[in-house]
Amino acid sequence: MYQYSNFDQRFIDERVEQFRSQTERYLAGELTDDQFQQLRLRNGLYIQRLAPMLRIAVPYGILSATQLRALARICRDYDKGYGHLSTRQNVQINWPELIDVPDILADLAKVQMHAIQTSGSCIRNITTDQFAGVADDELIDPRPWCEVMRQWSTFHPEFDWLPRKFKIAVNGAESDRAATHVHDIGIHIRPGPSGEPLFDFLVGGGLGRTPAIGARIRDGLPEHHLLTYLEAILRVYNRYGRRDNKYKARIKILVRAMTPEGFREKVDAEWERVKDSPSTLPQAELDRIKACFEPHPYASLEDETDLLAAARLANPAFNNWLSNNVAPHKRPGYAIVTLSTKPTGVPPGDVTDIQMEAVADWSERFGFGEVRISHEQNFILPDVRQRDLETLFRLADEQGLAQANVGLLTNVICCPGGDYCSLANAKSIPVAEAIQSRFDDYDYLHDLGPLDLNISGCMNACGHHHVGHIGILGVDKRGAEFYQVSLGGNQALDASLGKIVGPSFSRAEVPDVIEKILDVYLKSRFEGEEFLHCYRRIGIEPFREQVYADAG
Amino acid sequence: MPTLVRDLRIAEDDWRLVDEGPAAPGLIAPLDAWRENPDGAGVWLRSDTEVDAVAEEVLAAPVIAIEFPAFADGRGLSMGALLRSRHGYQGELRAFGEVVPDLTEYMHRCGFNAFVMASDRDAEAAIASIGRMSDHYQASVREPVPPFRRSTA
Repeated sequence: MYQYSNFDQRFIDERVEQFRSQTERYLAGELTDDQFQQLRLRNGLYIQRLAPMLRIAVPYGILSATQLRALARICRDYDKGYGHLSTRQNVQINWPELIDVPDILADLAKVQMHAIQTSGSCIRNITTDQFAGVADDELIDPRPWCEVMRQWSTFHPEFDWLPRKFKIAVNGAESDRAATHVHDIGIHIRPGPSGEPLFDFLVGGGLGRTPAIGARIRDGLPEHHLLTYLEAILRVYNRYGRRDNKYKARIKILVRAMTPEGFREKVDAEWERVKDSPSTLPQAELDRIKACFEPHPYASLEDETDLLAAARLANPAFNNWLSNNVAPHKRPGYAIVTLSTKPTGVPPGDVTDIQMEAVADWSERFGFGEVRISHEQNFILPDVRQRDLETLFRLADEQGLAQANVGLLTNVICCPGGDYCSLANAKSIPVAEAIQSRFDDYDYLHDLGPLDLNISGCMNACGHHHVGHIGILGVDKRGAEFYQVSLGGNQALDASLGKIVGPSFSRAEVPDVIEKILDVYLKSRFEGEEFLHCYRRIGIEPFREQVYADAG
Repeated sequence: MPTLVRDLRIAEDDWRLVDEGPAAPGLIAPLDAWRENPDGAGVWLRSDTEVDAVAEEVLAAPVIAIEFPAFADGRGLSMGALLRSRHGYQGELRAFGEVVPDLTEYMHRCGFNAFVMASDRDAEAAIASIGRMSDHYQASVREPVPPFRRSTA
């Protein structure tokens, strides 16, 4: 993974002191609430319903064991002993005192971490495939360019005060595990004719109040031009994006207003003027950054097919876990393990300090000391030897991190909702728990097959409900919490946005509604047909009829 | 009392902003009025001005004052950066409106050299904010060579 240079370390240390001075001036009454708000937001600090919430950046979701242990300690010292994995691959803590935040940042800086631009109207943490660098379907490892863009977007002189937040996702594999179609900018990296990386750009995707799939505006951009092309897009957005209404300020609204064609022309005209400027990436810089992502010293191993087959037979729980939570690795004899943070009864994405330390230990014992966080709010151990899988499964099970539900219904993606967030219209965590409790039979879940269920507590869509195969959105109906259900969303390469089934439901009704939807699917599917494909074939009507059948 | 910061020092403001013409030496006037009497006058650009379209004519102005209509409105940053680096403007580039300390650091990096601050205290804070970070990752008006193109790290 990336290692800080002297430049990076000095930068981050100075940043801690800069924020300390801002905090002190605020506490001394020299900055107004409004002024300080904008400054603290550049640093991931929200004043929430119950207490401040600090969002710590985990650049493109990659952590070292040392960093994860530092987070565990911070959760213990400054929080109530747990943290929350966010859908932007970051970590949030919920109870820090404002006055402690500069010290927390100083602790983070010691392990090459920060909280820069994790909130506010600026370029946020760049996200990517949680299996980057190890996935067996990878075309190009996206991590070096994520790091290049992290550096470029950090306190950019011109693009840190945008009309609205700005999210970039990068994918370099055949499957899209980074939801690139629903980001302000989605980048696909693929090999060109001689294996050189080329970049395809999607712009104007997004969730929230006005969900949209990104429009493709550039194919095959060579790597050296990455930053100047981004500069052109951001300059057009910074100058022409709406600032009069925050609900119309995202780039998707600008792209729609200008049309994707018109937007592309404007970007191209701007790019003509900045192309080949000093921000063009020299080969030496690309080489320096790529060198940080060289493959680990893998042993030459064989796949452990027989060993695993025997273990599967002997241990049905291990068998289920292998089927759902273990993904194929580039290297023979290795595997990628997803540690689910979603057993029933725990808010999705919440992890304790003890669990963090355990995961850090396993990453060293069963890998190269590296951990990932997925936008589905799970931990990933990217380099586990297949022969160690059963031991890891047992250890993970003891820590409550071996729920075999990755890709299944109960792997709910869920925002913090009304329990924590002051923006929410409704709670989301109790809904997730009610669904997990209702559908706790593994065989039933496995029979349902791949199913993404996403819950957001409000229109801001932090739980990505638009792209859930089943999406649930908390709405406010005359002061009461209600839930709107949508079907057919999808975050993969053939991305689509969900369609609303009909009038919303009370919280108590939600598990029944989900059950009725699943009944329709189970009755209608062809053998082996996944939920999404079945829905696309039969449409929303049969679901709608069943769900509202008793309503008269 | 507004306080002017010019070239990192508190300075006497020898310009007066007027919201209508006629423009005259010593006055900073809106673009339309300035066009009528440009000689010796400063020009006031609103944040939605098409900089590339007007750059050529305003380059002669001794002062270009860009308005920041709201705190956190970053359009003026792009305007300043383009005037300096694309169009080579050499005169005083001034930020006024909702100019708060800390944002002045970004403005400085985008080529602004004068800031109209709300008070002496804000002016001091603005000066202190500039240079607190000793270096940055990107090319900017102040540092046209990004770190990755400098010979020594």
